[in-house]
Amino acid sequence: MKALFSPRFNQLALPGALLALIVLTVLAAPLLPLADPVKQMVNQRLAAPSPGHLLGQDEYGRDVLSRIIWGGRVSLTVSFLAAFCAGVIGTLLGLVGGYFRGIVELMSVRLAEVILCFPPMLLALLVVTLLGPGAVTLVLVLTILFTPAYARVAYAETLSARTLDYVTAQTALGATSSRVLFRTVLPNIAPPLLVQFSLTVAAAMMLESGLSFLGLGVVPPSPSWGLMIRAARSVMEQAPLLLLWPCLALAGTVLLLNVFCDRLRDVLDPRGAAVGVIPAFLRKSRAAALPQATTEPAPGLVRIDNLTLSLKTPAGPIKVVRNVSFGIAPGETVALVGESGSGKTLTALAVMGLLPPVITPVDGSIRFTRRDGTVSDLLQLPEADMRRLRGNDLSIVFQDPSSSLNPVHRCGKQVAEAILAHGGGSARKARDRVVELFRRVGLPDPARRANAFPHELSGGQKQRVMIAAAVANTPRLLIADEPTTALDVTVQAQILDLLAELKSGAETSGMGLLFVTHNLAVVRQIADRVVVMYAGEIVEEGPVGEVFAHPRHPYTAALLASAPESEAEELAAIPGTVPSPAALPPGCHFAPRCALSTQACATAHPDAVEVGPGRTARCIRPMEVA
Amino acid sequence: MNVHVSPPLAFPDRRPLLRAEGLKRGFKGRGGLLGRSHEVLALRGVDFALARGEAVGVVGESGCGKSTLARVLLHLTPATAGRVTFDGKDLGALPKRELRALRRRMQLVFQDPFASLDPRRPIGDQIADGILIHRLATREGAKEKVAALLAQVGLDPAHAGRLPHEFSGGQRQRIAIARALSTDPDVLVADEPVSALDVSVQAQVVNLLKDLRSRLGLGLIFISHDLHVVRHLCDRVVVMYLGRVVEEAPAAELFATPHHPYTQALLAATPSMHAVDDRREPLKGEMPSPANPPSGCAFRTRCPRALPACAEELPELLHAGPGRRLACPPVLAEIPEAPHA
Amino acid sequence: MLAFTLRRTAIALVLVWLVATLVFMVIHLIPGDPAELLLSQGGVAPDPAAVAELRERLGLDLPLYTQYLNYWAGLFRGDFGVSLQDEHPVASEIALRLPRTLELIGAAAVIALSVGLPFGTMAALKPGGRLDRIASLIAGISLSVPVFVVGTLAILVFAQKLGWVSAGGYVALAQDPVRHFILLLMPASTIAVGLGAVVFRVTRSAVLEVLGRDHVRAAQARGVRPRLIILRHVLRNALSPVLTVVALHLGSLLGGTVLVEYVFNWPGLSGYLVRSVEARDYPEVLGIVLSISVLFVFLNLLVDLAYAALDPRVRHA
Repeated sequence: MKALFSPRFNQLALPGALLALIVLTVLAAPLLPLADPVKQMVNQRLAAPSPGHLLGQDEYGRDVLSRIIWGGRVSLTVSFLAAFCAGVIGTLLGLVGGYFRGIVELMSVRLAEVILCFPPMLLALLVVTLLGPGAVTLVLVLTILFTPAYARVAYAETLSARTLDYVTAQTALGATSSRVLFRTVLPNIAPPLLVQFSLTVAAAMMLESGLSFLGLGVVPPSPSWGLMIRAARSVMEQAPLLLLWPCLALAGTVLLLNVFCDRLRDVLDPRGAAVGVIPAFLRKSRAAALPQATTEPAPGLVRIDNLTLSLKTPAGPIKVVRNVSFGIAPGETVALVGESGSGKTLTALAVMGLLPPVITPVDGSIRFTRRDGTVSDLLQLPEADMRRLRGNDLSIVFQDPSSSLNPVHRCGKQVAEAILAHGGGSARKARDRVVELFRRVGLPDPARRANAFPHELSGGQKQRVMIAAAVANTPRLLIADEPTTALDVTVQAQILDLLAELKSGAETSGMGLLFVTHNLAVVRQIADRVVVMYAGEIVEEGPVGEVFAHPRHPYTAALLASAPESEAEELAAIPGTVPSPAALPPGCHFAPRCALSTQACATAHPDAVEVGPGRTARCIRPMEVA
Repeated sequence: MNVHVSPPLAFPDRRPLLRAEGLKRGFKGRGGLLGRSHEVLALRGVDFALARGEAVGVVGESGCGKSTLARVLLHLTPATAGRVTFDGKDLGALPKRELRALRRRMQLVFQDPFASLDPRRPIGDQIADGILIHRLATREGAKEKVAALLAQVGLDPAHAGRLPHEFSGGQRQRIAIARALSTDPDVLVADEPVSALDVSVQAQVVNLLKDLRSRLGLGLIFISHDLHVVRHLCDRVVVMYLGRVVEEAPAAELFATPHHPYTQALLAATPSMHAVDDRREPLKGEMPSPANPPSGCAFRTRCPRALPACAEELPELLHAGPGRRLACPPVLAEIPEAPHA
Repeated sequence: MLAFTLRRTAIALVLVWLVATLVFMVIHLIPGDPAELLLSQGGVAPDPAAVAELRERLGLDLPLYTQYLNYWAGLFRGDFGVSLQDEHPVASEIALRLPRTLELIGAAAVIALSVGLPFGTMAALKPGGRLDRIASLIAGISLSVPVFVVGTLAILVFAQKLGWVSAGGYVALAQDPVRHFILLLMPASTIAVGLGAVVFRVTRSAVLEVLGRDHVRAAQARGVRPRLIILRHVLRNALSPVLTVVALHLGSLLGGTVLVEYVFNWPGLSGYLVRSVEARDYPEVLGIVLSISVLFVFLNLLVDLAYAALDPRVRHA
C-alpha cells in the first residue's frame, strides 16, 4: 500500500492522466460534435484546416479530426481487446504450467511457445491470407500473437513464486492448489503481469497499425491510423500535414503507453530502479571536505581516528558509523565484531576506499603506514593513488567467494591481474607466480586450478583463490570481511588455519590482519584484540582473552551469555531488536535492551572510557559488569 | 525395493508418530532436451523416526540433504523411494484430501523469515489461514485465536493488521512460528530457524521454541548446521553426510562421545568461545558433489580412518549402544555393545 | 562446447520440423474448406468450378497424410510449389530475394549495435548525467514510433523535402556499388532506429547491473586499472544480457522488414510477401513464411552458440 503514496507513484500521474484523456475522448466519439468520418466531400479534397474542419480534409474531403478520433477508437478497441484476451489466456496457461510443471507445462506453456518460432508479423499475415482482413481477424491474430509472451511472463513468475517459502507455507498449512494459486501466487505475480499488459497494448497498437498500413488490417472505409497514413502517403507531396496528424496520434499514444509502462514498472518493482551503484573507480573526487589531514606518524600499521560515515537517504543524511577509533599494529590480528547494521563492514570498506556511493566519510582520518614508511590519510588520498595501494599494500578478502570471482574469466587470470596491476613484470612471470601462490594457499593441483573457471571450483577453493589474489603482492594489511560466513564449518576451520599460517609465514611476516565477523567463537580462535561494535559505534575494545573472560560492556557480556554454547537450561537472551540507524534510542543506544541500564543511561550518551590497559568500554558503569 | 529389516529404534518404548523408511529423493540433473539427464540424489536412503513430543536435531553441512529431508518428511516434496508414515498413515498413499487434512498436525518453520511471509497480506490474516482452512474456528473465533497466538509468541496482538515489512527479522520468525502453531500441530519441523537472525536475537527464538515445546508437548524436528543450538534444544541428534545418516544418538552422549569420524571432525571444527584449541586438525577437502558420490562410504575421501574396505560397501546404520546408531564398520568393531560384523 | 553445439543444433532441427508442420497445418486448422476460403471475396460465395480447380491444383483433394508426405518431398527437392498468379516457381523467387532481406537485416543490426552499445555504456557509466538523460529520451521516443511511420517520415523529409536521396528502390551491387549502398542506407537506418533504442536500453541497464556486482568490487580491490575493469569485468559480462534481449527482438526485427521493404520498395522477401497476401497466393505465402521462420530458428541457434561462447557456465549446462 505504501508504494501507492510514494513520490514514485506521482510519476504515474501525468502519463496516466493523458492516457485517460485519450481513452475518454475516443469512447465519447459518438457524443462529440464531430463530422461524419466517412462522409466524402470530393470538392473539398485536401482542404486546409478551417473552422469547420480543424485539421483539414483528406483526399476524399473527409474530416481529418473526426477520422483521427474514430480511428483511435478502432485501434484502441482492437488493442485493448486483444491484450485483455491474451492476458487472461496467457496468465492462466502460465500459472497452471508453472505451478504444476510436468505434462501440464508441456501442454500449456510449451505449446504456446511454438507460436514464438514465427516472427509475429509473418504469422499475422498468414492468418490474414486465410481469413481475409478485418477488425475481428485483427483481434484474433493479436490475441494469438501475444498469448505466448504473456504465458512466458506468468510462467517464469509462477515458477519462481512456487518455490518461495510463503507459498510452500500455504501448502504446508493444507491449502488446496487453487487456493494457493489464486490467493497467494496470483496476487504476488500481478505486478509484472500488469506491466506486461500495458506493454502488450502498445505492441498490439504498433502491429495493428502496421497491418492496416499494408492494407491488410482494418478494412476501408472504416477509419484507422494505419490506413490514414497509407492513404496520406500517396498524396504526401501535396499535403504533408495529412501524413503528420495520424503519425503524431499513433506515435504519441504508443509513447504515452510506453512511458506509463516504464513508470509502472518502477513503482511496482523497485528492484528495476537500482541507481547509485557507481563504484569508487568511476568517481573523480573521493571524500567530501574533511578536516585537514594529519600526516604525523601514527603508532602501528594503521590508525583510524574518529571515523564517521554518513548515508544519504531521501529523508536526509544518517550517520551510520560514528567516531570509530582503533589501530592495528604490525603482525597483529584485530577482530571487528558486531551484528548486521553495526557498521563493521562499512568501517572495513572505508579503509579500502571501496564504500558504496551512498555512503561518504564526513569526519575522521585513517592513517596508514606504507611499505616504504610514509604515512598517508587514506580518506584524503586521490583515487589514482588509492588504486595503487589496493591489492598491493592493502588488500581485502570478501564474504562470498562465489560472487567475488568473475564467472567468465579463468581463476589464474584474475589473480594475475593483481600482480600485473602493480607492475609485476611480464604476463609469463605472473603466471608462474600465480601457480606458486595457488600452491601456497593449499589448492590441490595448482597449475590446473589456475586454468579453471570459477564455477568448476568448490566454495572453499574459490575462497582460497581470493586469498591468493589478496596476498599476491605481500600486503601490509589484509582485511578479511566475514571470509568464512558463506562456508561450511569444516571448511571454515581450513580457511582460518590458512589465514593464521599465512600470517606466520616468512613472506608476509609483519602483516596486520583485520578480521570482520559476527561470530564470537571465530574471534576467540583467531584474534589478538577484539573491537566490538553496536549500532555504528565501538562499545568495547581489548585483548581477546580479557574481553571474553571479563567483558566490561553489558552488550559484550550479554552476547557471550546468549550463545547456545553455555550449559544453562534457558539461554540468557537479549530482549528487543537491533535499533534501526534512522531511529537510534537517545542516550546509550543499547540501554533499551540492557539488563543493567539505569535512568541516566537513557539520557546521556556515554563516551568510551579506559577500563584497563589497552581496554575501553562505552558505558557509564563499566565496572559493574562482572 | 529390497526388504528392509528395520533397525532398533532409539526409543523403542514409544510408538513413533512420524516415521520414514529408506527415503530417497532425486533431483533432475542438468541436461537439455537431448542431453543425458541424470539423477542427483539429495537423500540416499534415510531412516528416521520421531516419537510423540520428542525433539530431534538433524545436523550436517550444506548439501548433506537435511533441508530436503525436512520437506520430504512433510511430503512437500514427494520421496522418489521409501515411505513416510504419520500416525500410521502412509503420506504417499493418502488421497489428496486426506493428506491436506493431515497437514494440520505437522507444520513447518522456515529459515528465512523475510521470505516465509507473504509481503502483501497482514500478518493476522496469514496466521488465520490455517485456522480457516481446517475450519477450526469461525471468522470471529479465528481473530481471537490469532490474538492469543501472537501473545503466545511474545508479540502485541494489536499488531495483527500490520504487514510483514513492519517487523524485524526476529519478530517475523515469531510470526512464522505463530502461523505454524495455528493448527495445533503435533509436530513442528524447523528448518534452520535461527541462522538468518542476528546473533543477539537467536537466543530469543531458541528459548521460545524450547518453551513452546515444554508447554504444548510439541514434537520438534530441528534442522541446523549449528551443533551448539541443537545440543541445547534436542533430545536426540541425527548427523547427516551426503544424503545419508552417519550417526544418531541422544544429544548429551553424542557430544560427550562422538563415534563417527565425521561427527568428531564436525565437533572439532566448530569453534568454541571458551578456549582456543590449537590441536584441532581440520578435515581435508570438502563434501563431494551429490551428483557424483564416492563409492562405499561417502565420507571415506576425507576420513582420517579410512580403510580400503570403506570404498567397497555402503555402510549400514547399525545399533551402537542404547539409543545409538552408527554407520561406520571400523568404529563399530571397537564398540563392545555393537553387533560385530 | 561440441556437445553443446550438437545438442542445440538438434533442438533447432526439431523446431524446424515443428515450424514446417505447423505451416502445413495452418490451412487445415481453419474451419471451412480452404479452397473456398481462399477464393471468397467479401462474403460472396465463389464459383464452385473454380473451387474444385483450386483444390486440385493445391492437391487439397488428396488424403491429408499424402498431402503431408508430398509437402515434405517437395521441401527436400527445394520445390515450394508454383505461384497461383503466374505459375512461377516459388523457390526460385525466394532464392533471388532472400539475400536482399538478409542484407537489410545485417546492415540494420550493424548500425543499431554500433550506436546502441557505445551510447548505452557511456550512459550507464554516468547515470543521470546529461548524455544519459538525452540518450534515454531519444531511445524512449524511438521505441514508440512504428517502423513504417519512421520510414514514411524519412521519405517525406530526406527524399521529398531535402531531395538528398531517392524515395526508395534497389540497384544490384554489381551494377552500381555506390548507389546500392546509398539506397540501402535509408531502409536499414529505419529498422535500426527501434533496434538501436532496444540495444541502448538493455546495454545501459546491463552495464549498470554489472557495475554493482561483487566481482567488480573485487577487481577494484585488486587495484586493477579502471579501463581494464570496464573492458574485462563490466562490458564482457554485460554482453550476455544484451545478446539475450537482441535475440528476443529478432522476431519483431524480421517482421519489421515486411513494412520497411514495402515502404522503400526494397525487392526483398518480406515485401514480396505483402503482394502474395494481397493476392491470397497460398503457395507463395507458405513458402515465404516457412523460409523466414526457418531463418529465424537458425538465427536463434546462432545466438545460443554465441551465448555459450561468452559464458563458460552455459557450455557445461
